[in-house]
Amino acid sequence: MSKFKKLPLMMLGGGASFFAVTFIIYFFNLDMKFLSSCVEPILLWNYDRIPRKQYI
Amino acid sequence: MAFAVNDKKRVGEKQLGVLFNEGKVRRRREWRGIKDTLYDYGRWLYLLSILARVIIKPRNVKAMFRYRWFANYLAVPHMMDKFTMGLRDEPLRIVHTAMDFVVKDVATCIDNSIKGDRRTGNNVKYSDKCVLWDENAMTAAMMGFPTLNCILREVPTMFSANLLNQHSGLHYLDVAQQFGIPGDVCPMPEAELGVSIDDDFPVLGKCAVQVNTTCDGSLMGNGLIAKRLEREYGIPTFQLVAPMRHTEEDVQKYAANDIKKAIAFIEEQTGEKWDWTHYFECAKRVNQTTRNRVAWLEINSTPYPQFIGATFSLYNDTNYMGNCGRFPIFAEIDKKIMKYVTHGYKNKTMMAPEYRHRCIVWGVQPQYIIDMLNWMVHCWGVVPLTDMLSMVISEEIAEEDTPENREQAYYDMAWLTMNMIMRNHTHGGYKVLVDELWEYCEKMNADMVMMWEHMSCKALTGMHGQFEEQARERGINLVWVCHDLADPRVFPRQAIRDQFNQYMRTVMREEPLDPTIEVLPDNNAW
Repeated sequence: MSKFKKLPLMMLGGGASFFAVTFIIYFFNLDMKFLSSCVEPILLWNYDRIPRKQYI
Repeated sequence: MAFAVNDKKRVGEKQLGVLFNEGKVRRRREWRGIKDTLYDYGRWLYLLSILARVIIKPRNVKAMFRYRWFANYLAVPHMMDKFTMGLRDEPLRIVHTAMDFVVKDVATCIDNSIKGDRRTGNNVKYSDKCVLWDENAMTAAMMGFPTLNCILREVPTMFSANLLNQHSGLHYLDVAQQFGIPGDVCPMPEAELGVSIDDDFPVLGKCAVQVNTTCDGSLMGNGLIAKRLEREYGIPTFQLVAPMRHTEEDVQKYAANDIKKAIAFIEEQTGEKWDWTHYFECAKRVNQTTRNRVAWLEINSTPYPQFIGATFSLYNDTNYMGNCGRFPIFAEIDKKIMKYVTHGYKNKTMMAPEYRHRCIVWGVQPQYIIDMLNWMVHCWGVVPLTDMLSMVISEEIAEEDTPENREQAYYDMAWLTMNMIMRNHTHGGYKVLVDELWEYCEKMNADMVMMWEHMSCKALTGMHGQFEEQARERGINLVWVCHDLADPRVFPRQAIRDQFNQYMRTVMREEPLDPTIEVLPDNNAW
């Protein structure tokens, strides 16, 4: 099969894989689990290190 | 017992308690049947694309590592899960249409704030075209300045951040109290002040306008924020002093003159001129927004309410107060929402297996922070038809450009400012706070009132007995629910829900529709 003929199949496969991966992330809330347990603590640690000009 | 019973079988998850655990986020997302789950999944992708468009810019990445409040925006999809819990069909689509747009609006506000911010984006040309505007105020006096950007920097730093993460204000409250600010004022303006003391606001703009908002905390906070703006950053700040007794005829001229002075101040600081053509275009959109809100409330007064809860309130806040007719895109969103509301009403779509009580939500409300109103529908079948903050103007303002209307416009802008959300019912006297509540109960066929009692707010304190006595006379079930707005250390989420649970069990002698969500382990959740 020529490359041109394979293109729709490849697009379909790519789309299906994208859907499968993102739907699993969506349904099992993996995005929020990752951000709350891995990203947020790093950001909070960083904010505590920044010198600030606090006054009233 | 029920006034409406859902004859359609509920598709997907029936017991929503399964979604919760002790964690910061939910165990998994809800199964809503194939059609609605795929719809929700599609909107989740759309939401991620909005966030990606913000964070892809290097200046915003820099800001994410500089500003503490920025971290709360990790929780945007989690917030949507709260607001859409248990929803199917049209109500699910209404919430997504409204809230996804609110997210987009706040994302734009963040992007604009960072663009002009002296520490990160530092686009001086852009910053010189910006006017900082008090978050807790109508943006009516900006309707005639199409070339200026009105930046409500407290919205992303405090107000929206608190919708996303209930703990977002705690650091700033601690900072404010560390500097001697009393802890018994409203945590919302106190946290805003904490952001200023902590040097965590983006710094931009040619000038700023603050409004004497509704409480002691707000007045105190604004004074100190203005001091830093003027003395450290050289941003002159105008104090717009809207009268509290807004229903009185003798304050109207004073209020209109103050609007004139605010406009003159902005002209002087920015060099821009007031544009009457643009003002009246905006006024037409303000009127359209009013007509739409009144139409939604009319549908909510029938047995099949559609656009309700915290989303109704939040969308109205954004559209009525933050937008105030300035952006045509809101009209498109209104149209989409109207389509779903009309379909939902025709199809008799319901959000729960049955509706037992029709409730008006009154008082200083925290429903943005906790997903209480949606929970009331699913747990107890109590439908929150509308809330105090959504009951703003129902009359229209002058929209044709004539010499008489140009003078009238100042009065209209002043009237809008005095009737901003919160102010129009918590200030203005007995009639707007107490009498109007019973009028709304009658109009909307409500048999229940949930009174939020904000521990740090003194606005409703003196009226406690009046509300109870008059509700008893009218045969309306009145439930008081205490909270402390942005400070969950005073009233955690379950302590708030427990007050409602107790009332429903002991006074109303009812059993929950979904007992799995009567007690939720979400005190530590975002």
